[in-house]
Amino acid sequence: MNTENNTSKSNTPEYEIDTLTNTRLIKDHEYDGIKELDNDLPPWWKWLFILTIVFAVVYLVRLFVFQSDDLIQNSEYKAEMANFKPKEAIPFEVILLTDEISLAAGKETWTKICSVCHLMDGGGLVGPNMTDKYWIHGNKVNDLFNTVTTGYPDKGMISYKEQLSPKQRLEVTSYILTKIQGTTPITPKAPQGDLYE
Amino acid sequence: MELQKFTYDNKITRLFMNATILWGIVGMLVGLTIALELVFPLMSGGISWLSFGRLRPLHTNAVIFAFVGNGLFTGIYYSAPRLLKTPMFSELLGKIHFWGWQLIIVAAALTLPFGFTVGKEYAELEWPIDIAIALIWVVFGINLIMTTVKRRTKHIYVAIWFYIATFVTVAVLHIVNSINIPVSLLKSYPIYAGVQDALVQWWYGHNAVAFFLTTPYLGMMYYFIPKAANRPVYSYKLSIIHFWALIFLYIWAGPHHLLYTALPDWAQALGVVFSVMLIAPSWGGMINGLLTLRGAWDKVRESPVLKMFVVAVTAYGMSTFEGPLLSLKSVNAISHFTDWTIAHVHIGALGWNGMMTFGMLYWLFPRIYKTQLFSTKLANIHFWLATTGMLFFAIPLYFAGFAQSLMWKEFTADGYLKYPNFIETVTQVIPMYGIRILGGTLYITGVIIMIFNLIKTANAGTFVATEDDEAPALESHASVIDKGHRTLEGKPLLFTLLALAAILIGGIIEFVPMFMVKSNIPTISSVKPYTPLELEGRDIYIREGCYNCHSQMIRPFRSEVERYGDYTKAGETVYDHPFQFGSKRTGPDLAREGVKTGPLYKPNSWHYNHFFSPQKLVAESIMPPFPWLIANELDYSKISKKISVMQTLGVPYPEGYANQAKDELLKQANEIAQGLRNEGIDVTDTKEVIALIAYIQRLGTDIHRTDGSSAFTNK
Repeated sequence: MNTENNTSKSNTPEYEIDTLTNTRLIKDHEYDGIKELDNDLPPWWKWLFILTIVFAVVYLVRLFVFQSDDLIQNSEYKAEMANFKPKEAIPFEVILLTDEISLAAGKETWTKICSVCHLMDGGGLVGPNMTDKYWIHGNKVNDLFNTVTTGYPDKGMISYKEQLSPKQRLEVTSYILTKIQGTTPITPKAPQGDLYE
Repeated sequence: MELQKFTYDNKITRLFMNATILWGIVGMLVGLTIALELVFPLMSGGISWLSFGRLRPLHTNAVIFAFVGNGLFTGIYYSAPRLLKTPMFSELLGKIHFWGWQLIIVAAALTLPFGFTVGKEYAELEWPIDIAIALIWVVFGINLIMTTVKRRTKHIYVAIWFYIATFVTVAVLHIVNSINIPVSLLKSYPIYAGVQDALVQWWYGHNAVAFFLTTPYLGMMYYFIPKAANRPVYSYKLSIIHFWALIFLYIWAGPHHLLYTALPDWAQALGVVFSVMLIAPSWGGMINGLLTLRGAWDKVRESPVLKMFVVAVTAYGMSTFEGPLLSLKSVNAISHFTDWTIAHVHIGALGWNGMMTFGMLYWLFPRIYKTQLFSTKLANIHFWLATTGMLFFAIPLYFAGFAQSLMWKEFTADGYLKYPNFIETVTQVIPMYGIRILGGTLYITGVIIMIFNLIKTANAGTFVATEDDEAPALESHASVIDKGHRTLEGKPLLFTLLALAAILIGGIIEFVPMFMVKSNIPTISSVKPYTPLELEGRDIYIREGCYNCHSQMIRPFRSEVERYGDYTKAGETVYDHPFQFGSKRTGPDLAREGVKTGPLYKPNSWHYNHFFSPQKLVAESIMPPFPWLIANELDYSKISKKISVMQTLGVPYPEGYANQAKDELLKQANEIAQGLRNEGIDVTDTKEVIALIAYIQRLGTDIHRTDGSSAFTNK
């Protein structure tokens, strides 16, 4: 359409034609031998552009005028947090587990989490040696479970209440007491706490 | 019409061309090195200047400013004179430009690996180099604009429009983002802080992509594709619309790097919508490039030059579609901080910039050496190596990014994070890092083959130092009467001013409210300035480039709050000159690392051991060891000056605090070191690691401080 208009406005009706594509070349457009064709904007391209502009307007109106919750991140966050149930607070019996499945699960937690401070073989580095008979916070399954649960942040042991389920905490506690205790680590850390025979 | 005779200078083109090749291979080899380091973390061997955090900025800066920079200057110094029918305005300015730019690159290579950095991505260079960049850039600009003034053609071609936009915008971006207050010759602090600094930085960072990697290369596309294919440009109308739309819209899109951060919602929304609106203008360039080849597809099959251009423009189309996609908040929630972004930028760098550059070099060498290309077959082999290399690079990283992100977000049925320990999500993607190395190696092999081919070509020919041409004088076109945009094409100075206006609008509209309206950064009264020791530690954090792998920005998602602690608030960042949000989580986020009740807390002795040997504590860790932090004495001689500079920047240290800073620093260092000694660690008070531990343990703690105590009195 536009090309038609241009034709009528132009003084010289004769256009050079690009023979390979049979398209009109724009008159006097030549730069170091580079010419320009008189093609219109591809319609799909125009519509794509218009569509994205409509998207932008709708998006901004939804935010600035309607203040839609899904575009305000604090509201989004509140909605996400409201959507899940808080972690179980059911009463839980803490007794030493000895079955292999639980101990294997305990080992997994030990490897992923505990070994980062107590080393893989339990010899201790940042955290105390878990192989010896010296304990800072008691050696009963309950003591150990509580230590893992509440932690002693001032000494560097954080609470794992939010990261590990009660089951996982019991599994790893059991693993320590049955599989780590009494072994011989490569570089044992000096004993800390009191001796429990 | 009387014809005037003049000559084009190929010597300057050749200089830039050789520099492109040299810095290209250097930048890529540094990239390969750091890719290897991610798989073999002990590779740096405890040598500070070989560690990932020091070399990654060298890689990005070398590829962007040295390889692509010299590449775009090659293209401009060759094409602009021919398109304007005049030699470049000044040979002397050209030489100053060339040698100045190379000196800047050398200065970058001599400072970045040694830890002299501002700590803002792609703007790491310290203030004296920043000033040199600004000066040399202006030299380039004068040379370019004066060439358009001295032209013999009536109108300036679309390639020149893009060159002009490149010049004005990069000047504005670089200067505004690099305003730093010096502490010493090679240390400075940005005047902006926290969320404001982040907005300025990503306005810069995103538009460095737009106006350094994109617009000049689009200009080169408009010259070299029609020349190499001997075809007319597909659509002049499309050129006009996509040029103005592109430069106007691009400048707004920076906040898409900060989605779901503490940046206010309105600014994020602007980042989203302007990114989405960029699809069509970007694709306008792709269409004009690809459709220019209509009628010449038979030539594409035979010519490695055209094949490379086709892959380049296709890669451009892909990454400019992906960019808007990644800017949607729901997609960004998954992609951000992962290797997805790395894959995305390498489609642009390896595909668009790399292939355009190689195609241009294969086209230019035979012309300025007046001979045939030594081997078309080798060029074809290069083409295939580059194309497959790019795919082997990007596809594994897409997978890695997606997989790791899903692992970060996965909960068990009981409501616990499925992978609470970050390292599990890292080991999962290591094989992908391995395949990426293969991709990079293929790509670099191609470049080495190209260098061989081009040297052979040069040796076979004779260098054409100058080329003669002739054209009628500019005045001879005076009678031509223009309408519409054509008028503007005849007035390059006005064109330059309008382009400047177009790129200023977006930035101004985003910055003014961000800096003037207080509600954008709600004050948190418990947030206090860093102690002198923490400030020194922070400078070490920046020096070591920790931000290259660790973010400090917890997004408001349940999965991140569970993993890292409460999400980051804008008010917590107000004393961070520069901000350290980071853009990639190769390691975990550190925004709340110091919070004792938080899920990530580790005691001082852990950090001490971990810096010395991460693998001792986390066997599969890919963090490099930092033994020099343990060995080096902390240089705190500039602490008073640092505190005064911070005061100048508005950080509310008490009056006269600069004078007591040293005593405070030593006191806090002694406390930390004594604690470590009590744990059996043999350490003196003033080691660098002590300062870094002080900083790490401060991170994120301020909003947890309920007793109202000041950070200056140690607990």
